[in-house]
Order: sequence, then C-alpha cells, then structure tokens
Amino acid sequence: MTELRKSFHTELAEVHAELMRVGAQVIEAIPRATRILLDMDLEGADYMIQGDDEIDARCIDVEEHCYRILALQAPVASDLRAVITALKMTAELERSGDLTVNICKAARRIYGHEMNPKLRGIIAKMSEQAQQLFANAMEAYDESDPAKAAALDDMDNYLDGLQRQFIQVIFESHASGSIDLQVAVQLGVVARFYERIGDHAVNIGEKVRFLVNGWMPEHIGAVRHRLRQDPTPFAGMPIPGESDRHQDD
Amino acid sequence: MPVVYVLIGLLAGITACAIARRRTVHKVGSVDLGIQVQTVATPIAPGPAQTELEPVRFVLDALPIGVVYADAAGTVVVRNRMALHAAGARHGDILVDEAVGVLLKAALQGQERRQTLELFGPPARVLLIHAQRAEAGGAIATISDITERARLDAVRTDFVANISHELKTPVGALSILAETLADCDDPDVVARLSGKIVREAERLTLTIEDLLELSRIELGGDANREELSAEKVLEDAADRVRGLAERRHIKVVIDDTDPTLSVVGDRRQLVSALGNLVDNAVKYSEMDSSVELRAHLEGDRVLFTVSDHGMGIGSQHLDRIFERFYRVDRARSRDTGGVGLGLAIVRHVAANHGGEVKVTSQEGEGSTFTLSIPVASGLVSVRQSDDVMSAAG
Repeated sequence: MTELRKSFHTELAEVHAELMRVGAQVIEAIPRATRILLDMDLEGADYMIQGDDEIDARCIDVEEHCYRILALQAPVASDLRAVITALKMTAELERSGDLTVNICKAARRIYGHEMNPKLRGIIAKMSEQAQQLFANAMEAYDESDPAKAAALDDMDNYLDGLQRQFIQVIFESHASGSIDLQVAVQLGVVARFYERIGDHAVNIGEKVRFLVNGWMPEHIGAVRHRLRQDPTPFAGMPIPGESDRHQDD
Repeated sequence: MPVVYVLIGLLAGITACAIARRRTVHKVGSVDLGIQVQTVATPIAPGPAQTELEPVRFVLDALPIGVVYADAAGTVVVRNRMALHAAGARHGDILVDEAVGVLLKAALQGQERRQTLELFGPPARVLLIHAQRAEAGGAIATISDITERARLDAVRTDFVANISHELKTPVGALSILAETLADCDDPDVVARLSGKIVREAERLTLTIEDLLELSRIELGGDANREELSAEKVLEDAADRVRGLAERRHIKVVIDDTDPTLSVVGDRRQLVSALGNLVDNAVKYSEMDSSVELRAHLEGDRVLFTVSDHGMGIGSQHLDRIFERFYRVDRARSRDTGGVGLGLAIVRHVAANHGGEVKVTSQEGEGSTFTLSIPVASGLVSVRQSDDVMSAAG
C-alpha cells in the first residue's frame, strides 16, 4: 500500500513539474512574441508559430496523465483537487501559448507599417506586465500560495488600465494619420491578446486558491443567487474558504 | 578569450574527475558528498566524509559556470550553485534545467552535445550548455553564460557594417553627383548638384572629425584636470545646442543644481560629452517640449542627468547605443544629422574620468542619461561640509 501511495505522489509531482516547465515556456514566449511584433521579425514569427505545437502536445500529455491518475488511483480530497487543478491549468497554459502565437500572427499582418514610439512603448509595458502576472501565477502554483494568487487580481487591473490607455493612443495615432485603419484594428486586437494573457494568469491564481482551500470564484455568484431566492440570514451559507473570499467580485 | 574557456573547461574536467575519484575512494553516495539535487547550498548534518568533502562543495559553488553531474542511471547527483541560478530568473532556470536534462540523457548514450539557449528573461541571457560522458561513468554538463560574448560578436559584425555604411554612403553619393555634374550643361542643375556635393563633403568631414575626436579621447592622453563648477559645465553644454533648441521650440532648463557643486575633470571633454547628450535629447524630443539638465552629489560621485520627453529607446537597444556607429533606426539617422559617434564619445569621456554613463528609457515617454563622475581629491565634500557648518551657525 505504501508503495502504491508513493508512486501516486511521484506521479503528482511529475505533473506539477511538467506544468511548471510548460508555464516557463509560456512566460518566455511573451517577451519573445513582443520582440517579434516590435521588430516585425517574420522569420521569428514563423518559428514561434511552429513552436507552439510543442506546448499543445505537452498540454495534451499532461491532461492524459491526469485522466490516468484519476482512473487508476481514484484520489480524494486535496489529492483530487491537485489533479483537477492540473487538468484545468493545462487549458489555461495551452490557451496562453496560443495568444502569444496570435501576437506573432498580428506581427505578420501589420508587417511593413511603422508604429510610433508611444504605441511601441505601451506594447512593451503591456508585455512586461502580462509576463510578470504569468510568472507570479506560476510561482503561486509552485508554492501553493493562495495569498500570492489572490494578489494577481490587482496586477491584472493595471494591465487592463494599460489596455485602455493603448486603445486611446491607437485612436490618437489614427486621427493624426500616423497609422491607417487596418493597423489600428490589428493593434486593438493585439491589446486584447495581452489582456487575455493576464486573465489566464488570474484564472491560474483562482485554480491555486481552489487547490489550497477549495475556493472558487463562482461561489460568490452562487451565494448571491441563493440569497436572492431566499433572503433569510443563513440561506447563502456555508461556502468553503469563506475567510479567503473577496468582499465583492 | 579562448584561453579563458579552455581554462574553464579544464577546471570543470578537474572537478568532475575529483568528484569521480572521491566517489570510488570513499565509496560514498550522493548524500555523503553533501551536494544533492536542488540543495547545493543547504548544509546537511556533517559526517566524517562530509567535512572532508566540504571544500569540494565550496569549490564547485564558487565556479563561474554551472556544473551538473548525473550518474550512470541518469540521476542528477551534483548540481552546483551556478547551475541552479544560471538564468537569473525562476522560469528561465526551469528551462535551463530541462535543456540540461535532455543533453545529459544524450550524453549518457555517448553523444556529446552542445546547445545555445537564448533566454529573453528578464534578464536576457545567452547560455551555452555542453554535455559529455564523464570518464568515470555518468555524464557531466556545463552551463556557461556567454551573454557578453554574444553581444561582443554582434558589436563586431555591426561595427564593420555600420562604419562602411557611414563612410561609403557619402563617398558613393559624391562620386555619382560628380559623374552627373561632368555631363551637365544646365547652370541650374550644376548649382544644385554642387550644393549637394558640398553638403555630402561636409557630412564626411564631420564623420572623420568625430572619429578623430573619439580616438583622441580613447587614448585619453591630454586630459587636463581642473576643478570645474558642475553648473557651469551644464551651462556650456546647453549653450552648444541653443540654436537647434530654439528652432525646435524646445526649452533646455538647468534645474535643481547646487551652484557650489564642483567636480575635477577635463573641461573640454566633459562639455563635449554632456553637449552630445543634450544634442541627442533636443534632436529626439518632440517640438515644444523641454529637456532638463541637472547635477547633484550622490555618495562620492557627481551625477549629471539629461532628461528628455521624446520618442525614447526600445529596451533591446539600450545596451548597444554606446557603441560606435550603432543606430536604433538607421532609416532615420540621416534626418537627424548625427554620425553615430556621440554616445561612444560620452562613454569614453566617462571612462577617462573613472565614471560611467547609464540610460533609462521608455519608448514614447523619453529617456534619461546619467553621467556619473567621481569627485576627485575630496574638494567637493570639504566645500559641502563648510556649507552645512555655515548654515548651522
């Protein structure tokens, strides 16, 4: 029996390590994609678009590994949460990898059009912030640190602010004739890619909080719903991880 | 340079052999060696063999390259401090570790492998990972940080391309203009072409003058040290761009500078260096903006800062702009009129004075250049403490 549990935890550790490695690839891909976009590096863009297949394949492998663990080991409680967290994280990592690829594809579409320094500056900042968010999310996962995970929300607000600022600069640049409509639209989409990477990082943070104390963002909505249906004092209670919950979001 | 690498390789070889020999002599496992997976720096309760092997651990951890050793079964037994932190960032270290694992596996099967890993960071690093089978069994991988070497390679290649660009373009233009002029009778065209020839010749002269100035400063021979007022140096530098600044409606302001602050240095060189910085600041600023100059004392250094609110410099260029002829945007370089030597001159002036020049920049927001010069012979600190005394009294 002991031997069986040992192999189970080794397997969990393997899944964890592999997710950290894929996460590291995504963290590295963010500035790489940004450089490709700013330098209009077509060769680099092709290279990265192909490279994403590796992230996809590895995510599928982790996913299958998780199913195997579920089927063969039937874990419960925190062990089960660890496997479910890993399963859900594969989706976040895979999608984030795709978003870096989308940035490279946008680089191809706006090739040959020059961007003014203001636009370039904010792209660089969005990239830094998105990368920082993602790195923190992976650290939170590595350390199973719910406090670090919960802090990601505030960092994401800053990224959202940058995105709004960027859209404003796109309008100004288009109005002054420094970029044409086509480029303006493409850049608007690029801003969305960075913003989405940030959202996936926040999602990873939520998964970490679920892993540690069973908290899920949906719980808050569910409580609100129950309260609306039955406004007696204890109707909405109880929910797990309540002390860790945000006031309102 | 190659000598250094040979040396490092030798050292790695020696340590690898040392470890292998230790293992056979004492028949100790990895735990006794005290160097475990992921826990290099954490001391384990010392046994007799442990204390004896302690120096090996220190030696390994002191190496400037990463060393990873896996036994014949493929288990990593030794990983020194540098191998754990080669990338300087957590996610980077994970990627390095993964690459090392792949290479070690190949090495255990007898294939010697090399891989260059380029990491965007931050910090951006270029790492060379080399794995080969160890003589005593198992495999050893080394991780060397070749970031600086890669940068110097780029500098060398670009320098040749850039200098030929800067020198050949005006010469090419001159010969074509002269050829056209030779077959031309129309006086209007002749006037226009000869005007162009004069401008190209002037440009070439400027490049050559700057090159000469740069090599003079590089030699650093005729530096004339004297005590200079920091404020006066800034004023002289600002005066050099007064005309250009007025044409572009840019205010050059000196703020927040203590009039008694002084520095020991060569007046001509310092004014030339700061003049170059102010000149760039004005050239790359937007119309109707301002450029701020400032000097203040920090520790034993006087910091001259030049800040603009211009287009800024992309982060990938920041560690390259002080090279001779380096251009952030080559297409635009002819509009701004410089020859690409200004910042190289600044760097050499800084070096001549035992100081340094640094830059922080954000694209679209502006740049700040800081020239820091050590306060020589304590002249300034004495004067400053006098001020404090008189203020107190």
